[in-house]
Amino acid sequence: MGSLFRSEPMCLAQLFLQSGTAYECLSALGEKGLVQFRDLNQNVSSFQRKFVGEVKRCEELERILAYLVQEIHRADIPLPEGETSPPAPPLKQVLEMQEQLQKLEVELREVTRNKEKLRKNLLELIEYTHMLRVTKTFVRRNVEFEPTYEEFPALDSDSLLDYSSMQRLGAKLGFVSGLIHQGKVEAFERMLWRVCKGYTIMTYAELDESLEDPETGEVIKWHVFLISFWGEQIGHKVKKICDCYHCHIYPYPSTAEERREIQEGLSTRIQDLYTVLHKTEDYLRQVLCKAAESVYSRAVQVKKMKAIYHMLNMCSLDVTNKCLIAEVWCPEADLQGLRRALEDGSRESGATITSFMNTIPTTETPPTLIRTNKFTEGFQNIVDAYGVGSYREVNPALFSIITFPFLFAVMFGDFGHGFVMFLFALLLVMNENHPRLSQSQEILGMFFNGRYILLLMGLFSVYTGLIYNDCFSKSVNLFGSGWNVSAMYSASHAPAERGKMALWNDSVVRRSRVLQLDPSVPGVFQGPYPLGIDPIWNLATNRLTFLNSFKMKMSVILGIIHMTFGVVLGIFNHLHFRKKFNIYLVSVPELLFLLCMFGYLVFMVIYKWLVYSAETSRAAPSILIEFINMFLFPTTATSGLYAGQEHVQRLLLAVTALSVPVLFLGKPLFLLWLHNGRSCFGVSRSGYTLVRKDSEEEVSLMGSQDIEEGSTPLEDGCREVTCEEFNFGEILMTQVIHSIEYCLGCISNTASYLRLWALSLAHAQLSDVLWAMLMRVGLRVDKTYGVLLLLPVMALFAVLTIFILLVMEGLSAFLHAIRLHWVEFQNKFYVGAGTKFVPFSFRRLSWKFSDDRA
Amino acid sequence: MLGSAELCFNVDHGYLEGLVRGCKAGLLTQQDYLNLVQCETLEDLKVHLQTTDYGNFLANQTNPLTVSKIDTEMRRKLCGEFEYFRNHSLEPLSTFFTYMTCGYMIDNVILLVSGALQKKSVRDLLGRCHPLGRFSEMEAVNIADTPSDLFHAVLVETPLAPFFQDCMSENTLDELNIEVLRNKLYKSYLEAFYNFCKDHGDVTAEIMCPILEFEADRRAFIITLNSFGTELSKDAREALYPTCGQLYPEGLRLLAQAEDFEQMKRVVDHYGVYKPLFEAVGDGSGGKSLEDVFYEHEVKMNVLAFTRQFHCGVFYAYTKLREQEMRNIVWIAECISQRHRTKINSYIPIP
Repeated sequence: MGSLFRSEPMCLAQLFLQSGTAYECLSALGEKGLVQFRDLNQNVSSFQRKFVGEVKRCEELERILAYLVQEIHRADIPLPEGETSPPAPPLKQVLEMQEQLQKLEVELREVTRNKEKLRKNLLELIEYTHMLRVTKTFVRRNVEFEPTYEEFPALDSDSLLDYSSMQRLGAKLGFVSGLIHQGKVEAFERMLWRVCKGYTIMTYAELDESLEDPETGEVIKWHVFLISFWGEQIGHKVKKICDCYHCHIYPYPSTAEERREIQEGLSTRIQDLYTVLHKTEDYLRQVLCKAAESVYSRAVQVKKMKAIYHMLNMCSLDVTNKCLIAEVWCPEADLQGLRRALEDGSRESGATITSFMNTIPTTETPPTLIRTNKFTEGFQNIVDAYGVGSYREVNPALFSIITFPFLFAVMFGDFGHGFVMFLFALLLVMNENHPRLSQSQEILGMFFNGRYILLLMGLFSVYTGLIYNDCFSKSVNLFGSGWNVSAMYSASHAPAERGKMALWNDSVVRRSRVLQLDPSVPGVFQGPYPLGIDPIWNLATNRLTFLNSFKMKMSVILGIIHMTFGVVLGIFNHLHFRKKFNIYLVSVPELLFLLCMFGYLVFMVIYKWLVYSAETSRAAPSILIEFINMFLFPTTATSGLYAGQEHVQRLLLAVTALSVPVLFLGKPLFLLWLHNGRSCFGVSRSGYTLVRKDSEEEVSLMGSQDIEEGSTPLEDGCREVTCEEFNFGEILMTQVIHSIEYCLGCISNTASYLRLWALSLAHAQLSDVLWAMLMRVGLRVDKTYGVLLLLPVMALFAVLTIFILLVMEGLSAFLHAIRLHWVEFQNKFYVGAGTKFVPFSFRRLSWKFSDDRA
Repeated sequence: MLGSAELCFNVDHGYLEGLVRGCKAGLLTQQDYLNLVQCETLEDLKVHLQTTDYGNFLANQTNPLTVSKIDTEMRRKLCGEFEYFRNHSLEPLSTFFTYMTCGYMIDNVILLVSGALQKKSVRDLLGRCHPLGRFSEMEAVNIADTPSDLFHAVLVETPLAPFFQDCMSENTLDELNIEVLRNKLYKSYLEAFYNFCKDHGDVTAEIMCPILEFEADRRAFIITLNSFGTELSKDAREALYPTCGQLYPEGLRLLAQAEDFEQMKRVVDHYGVYKPLFEAVGDGSGGKSLEDVFYEHEVKMNVLAFTRQFHCGVFYAYTKLREQEMRNIVWIAECISQRHRTKINSYIPIP
C-alpha cells in the first residue's frame, strides 16, 4: 500500500544492447512496458538519426496497409479487429512481409485499374445508348426524310431543326452530340452563343436517370445535347468549348440505319462488358477477403516495429559501434523484470553475447510513478489534474479516497439522492467490462471513468443524508422523536411546577399561530435522537435557523481538521527529504498559528456544545463575541465560557504572534547560518531536486559520463551550479511570500470551507422547493383526479430531481470538493512539480485503424 | 463601412480570422528552415516536413519524390485552406477573396493564351495553372484570337471582365501584345482592388493600401526593368504603370523616362521607402537580386499585417506568406535535388 503514499523509487539504468539483439530486446521491453527511455540524441534532427531508414520502411508498409484498408472498406468487406496483439515481427520476417505486401499492392492496383477502366468503358457505352435514345426524338423529322441535304425539306416551322436556311447557304451541316453535367448547361449554352454568334443550334434534354461520372465516380444528373452547326471553323470552336466544359462527346449517327446498327452493337458490347466486369470484381473481392484476414495483425506488427525503431533512435552508439547504449528510468521494483526481459530478448535472437544493464547514479529528478488500480485511478487523476506529484513526495490521492467523497457528501447530503447516485455508479461498476461502456466517449465516458468516485460519493451522501435526516427533502422518523409535545400542556404537570414555566392550555393553542416547545420543561425533551437530526425539526418553522447554526459550525470544524491534516502531511515530506529544520522552522509555527487561532475556535464551539444545556442556554455567551474579544482586549469584563479564559486567550494570542516572525525569518536565517558555518551542506531551495547526497566519486563519475555522452553536460552543469549557489535574498523573498500566503490563507481558507455549509443549504432548499412546487400540488388534489394528475407530476418530479438536483447540483458540489482539495488542502504540503513516468509500452499504442480515412 | 470594425467585424468574420491566425502560427520557423537546409535528399525533406504543420501531405505520393510533386501538393494544401475560407466567408470578405483570386486568374489566362500561341497542349498548360486562379471558362481561352474576342467570348462572365475595358483592341495576340495585355489587366486589377480596399475603409484600408501600393510600385519597377532594350515605347510603357502606388504621379513620369538601371536608381532616390531596397541590391554575382529584395520587403509588410486585428488583410497576408514559404521550400528542394548546395541559404526567411 506504500506505493500510493509515495511514488515509487526510480533508478536510472543504462542498457547495453548488442546491435544484433537490440530490436528483440526492445520488443520484449515493449511488451512488458517497464521503462521510460530518455532521448540521448536531442540535438540530432529527426532525419539524421540512425534508424531513420527503418522508420521510413515502416511508414511505407503503413502506407500500403492504409491502401489495403481503404480498398477493403470500399468493397464493404468486414475488417476483423482481433483482441490479440501479435508480437513485433522478427527481423527476418520483415523483408518477407514487405515483399508480400508490395506484391499484394501491385496486384491490387493492377486489378483495380483494370476494373476502373472497364467500368469507365461501360459507363461511356451506357451514356452513348442514352444519348442515342434521347437525340432520336430531337430530329424525328430528319429520320422520316432522307438525310441528304440536296432534297428540299418541308418547310416545317415547328421542326426543331430548320434545315431550309442551311440549305440555302449550301454549307455542310455538322452535328456534335454528347452529355454534359446538369449544372453547366446554361453557362455552356451562353458560351456557345457568344462564341459562335448564333450560328449554331443547340437542343438539349435532361436525362431522366442519374448516371455515374466516369472520372469522379459521383452520381449526378446529366443533360443530353445536340448541337448542329455549319462550317468548319465554327465546328472547331464548338469542339473546343465542349472540351472546356468537360462534355462527353459521342459520334452522332447520320442515318437511321446507322443509328440502329450502333445501338445493336452497343447493347452486345455492354452485355460483354458486364460479364467481364463481374468476373473482375469477383476476383478483386477474393483478393481483398484474403488480405482482410491478416491486415489487422499486420498493422499491429508494423506499429510495434515503428515504435521500436523510434525508441532505438533515442539510443546512442558506443565507441566501438558494436552496441547501443540506452538510458532508461526504471522503477526499482521492476529491475528484475527488466533484466529478465533483456535476457529473453537476447535469447530469442540467438546472440552469443547477451545484452545487459547497470544502474547509474544521477542527480536528476526521476519521473513520478504511482501505480494505480481501477479503483484508485480516478482519485489519482483528480490529483494529477492539479499537478503531477514531485518525486517521492506525499501523494494526496491516498487521502482523497476518503476525504473527497466525504466533503462532497457534506454538500450533497440527502440519502435519497445519494442512493440514486450510488445505484447509478453501482450499475456502471457491475457492467464495467461491457465494451460499449468502456469505449464510450464524452459525458458518459467521463462518468464511466469516475465510477468508483461516484460510488463512494453516493455512499457517503447516504451517510450524511442520514445525519441531516433528509430524504428528498423530507425527514424520516426511524427511532421516534426525542421531543414530546404533550408534555407542554399544563395538564401534564403538577400545579406546583406550573408557575415558573410557560405552559400551554387550550386557549393558548387555539389563539397562537406559532408555538414553541421548551426543552427545559421536564418531559418535553427526552434526550437526543440516536442518529442525526431529530425528525421533529422538519415541522419546525425555525428549522433553518437551527440547521444553519449546526452546519456552519460543522463546516468550520471539518475545514480546520482538514487543513491541520495537510500541514501534518507536510511534516512527513520534510522527514522524508531529510530536512528536519523545516519541521521546526516551518511546519511547527504553521501548526501553532493555525491551532492557536482556529483550533481554539473549534475548541470553543465544542466546549459550548458540551457544557451548556437547555436550562443554562440563556446564560451562554456568543462564540463570535468571545472570539472577537480575544483580539480586542475589551475593558469591560465579560462572563466568558470558563474561568481563566482571559489568561488562556492571552497565552494563545502570544503564541500566535510569536510564530509569525519565526515563520517569516526562521528558515532563511537558519540557512544563512548553515551557509556561513557549514558550507558543505548542500541544500536545495525549492522543489526536491537533490534527492540523495552524492558522494564525491559518484559526482565525478557522472561528470565523466556526461562528457562521454556529449549530450546534455551543459544543462546538468547549470543545475548543479544553481544547487550550490546561495542567494539569501531570494530565499528570504520566497519564504516571506510563502508565509504571507499561509497566514492570510489560514483565514481565507477557513472562510472558504463555509462553502460546505452554503452548498448543503442550497441543496436542501432546492429539493425542498421542488417538493413544495410539484409533489405537494400533486398530492393535494382529491383522490379521484389525483391519480391521473399524480402520474405526470411524479414523472416531472423524477426528471427534475435527476437533472437539477443530481446532475447539476452534483456537478457543482463536485467542483467545490475539487477546489477544497486543490486549493485549501493541497497547498499546505503538495508541490506537484513532477513529471509523469511514461513507460515504453505497446499497450499505449492505439490499435484502431485511423479514422480520417473513414 | 461604419468605421466600427472593432464592434461588428467578429460577428461575420471572427471565426475566419481566428482560423487564419491559427494557420499563420503553423508557418515554418527559423529552426525548421535550419533543419530543412541540412537535408541530404528529398526523402529527408519529407520526413522533416512531416513534423511541421504540413503533416503527412506527401504520404500518398509514390516514390520517387520530385520537386514538382512537392510543389503541387503544397499548392493543393494552400488551395484547400483558401477554398475553406472562401466558402465560409460573408460579404464584404467574399468580394475581397474574389479580388485576391483575380490576380491568379490573370496569370492563368495569360499562361493559356501564350501557351496556345506556342501550340502547347491545353492539358499540359492546365497542370501549370495556379489552382487559386481556376475558373470554369478557363479552358476555352484559346478560342480567341484578339483581346476583344477573348473578352466577348470567354471572360465576359468572370470577375475579370471589368479589367478589360482598357485593353479592347483588335490586335492579334502575339508575344509582346500578350505581355502588354497582362500588364494592362494587372494595372486595372490593382487599381480596382486598391479602390475596393480604400472604400472599405477602417483597418482593412490601413493595412491593405500600403501593401497594394507596394505591389503597384513593384510592378512599375519590374515593367521598367523588363522594357529596357525592347521595342516598347516610353509612352506605352507609362500606360502600363499601375497608378495606385506611392510613385504616382511624378515618380511614374520619371520612371517612364528612365533608360537604364542607373537612371531608375536615381528616380528611386527620391523615395525613402524604396531607396534602402535598391541599395541592398548587390551587383553581379554577390548580393541579392532586386526580386529577392522586393520579396523580403513584401514578407515584412505581410507579417506586420498580423499585428492589427479586425481586418481582411490577414487573409491576403497569410496567402502571400504561405506562397513565399512554398517558394522557399521549392528553392531548398531544388537545391537538394540538383546537389547545388552553395545557394541553398538564399531563401527568404519569414520572421
